[in-house]
Amino acid sequence: MSPFTCARERELSELIRKGHWPQASPADLRAHVTSCRSCSDLVLVTDTLQASHRHTAELPRLEPAGAIWWRAQLRRRNAAIEKVSRPILGAQLFASTMALVVIAAVAVWQFGNWSVWFADLPGTLHLDALIPSATPENGILWIIMPVLATIALLSGVVVYLASEKQ
Amino acid sequence: MSWESIIPNVLAGQSQSLAGSSPAAAMDNEQFAAFYARSARSLWAYLARVSRDPGLADDLTQEAYVRFLCAAHPQDGEVAARRYLFKIATNLLRDHWRRPQSSSIEEIPEHTFADSSGETQADSLAMLGPAMAQMRPRDRQLLWLAYAEGYSHHEIAQITGLASASIRLLLFRARRKMARLLRSGGEA
Repeated sequence: MSPFTCARERELSELIRKGHWPQASPADLRAHVTSCRSCSDLVLVTDTLQASHRHTAELPRLEPAGAIWWRAQLRRRNAAIEKVSRPILGAQLFASTMALVVIAAVAVWQFGNWSVWFADLPGTLHLDALIPSATPENGILWIIMPVLATIALLSGVVVYLASEKQ
Repeated sequence: MSWESIIPNVLAGQSQSLAGSSPAAAMDNEQFAAFYARSARSLWAYLARVSRDPGLADDLTQEAYVRFLCAAHPQDGEVAARRYLFKIATNLLRDHWRRPQSSSIEEIPEHTFADSSGETQADSLAMLGPAMAQMRPRDRQLLWLAYAEGYSHHEIAQITGLASASIRLLLFRARRKMARLLRSGGEA
């Protein structure tokens, strides 16, 4: 006999589980239960919880199985997409970084040529009329800065749209 | 080029990498519907009685089935699948209790379990609510799994993650306390 349970508890549990308790149980076991605290606890708690189980199981308004099935399929699909997207996102970041590095390198390398080209740009496009007459000598910055800002803005928009599309 | 053209099987939920372990490979929609019909009420009752919050039981029941379908689970029959489902539900309950609460589950009124049909309940059943409220959540879990669901100590250990050897002692103490509370009308 275990220090915590009665020797007849297993027999009693089996009878309760089969629904044989108390009508189809031996008389000596019924007499034992009235005098054994462990067994009477077992009967009381089991009867109460099984009655509660029958009662409680009638209460819920369950969601249709099809809705849960569909939700699970959706979650599996999203998980699969996320799993596949993770390395591609890394590749995107790497490619973007490399592109920026190359652009910066070319910009530094060709800075002298671009300065000349930008210096000639107002004359080529006849933009002199747009530049204020009070502009200082290095007024070429008035042209370069908006152009670079526009390129940066458009690059951001293009990257954003490309990411959204994917 | 779109994702659908690159990974059509993944989007259709038929990826080769998932086929071996996913429940979808073992259980189709109709099989799941039958399994759900047989097990959902028991699972809800377990969650509702242990958490003492029917609303939470609604949410966790749905989440447990979704995770059950998304995860790999034992393939050796409905008994194992059902046990796995209870394990997921137990973990969800544990996660819920670990999160900071805006209100305590102890504040949920027990009358949410009252029988709306007006039928008279047995005295012990009427006493169950107050008695359960006096028990610790883990004790409620153990008692429900053992005496309402009829799981063995080994199965309870698998579901709760507790050591199998400690189940007997924990269950004995919980049962003794529950019986005392039931006899005293839920008074500690």
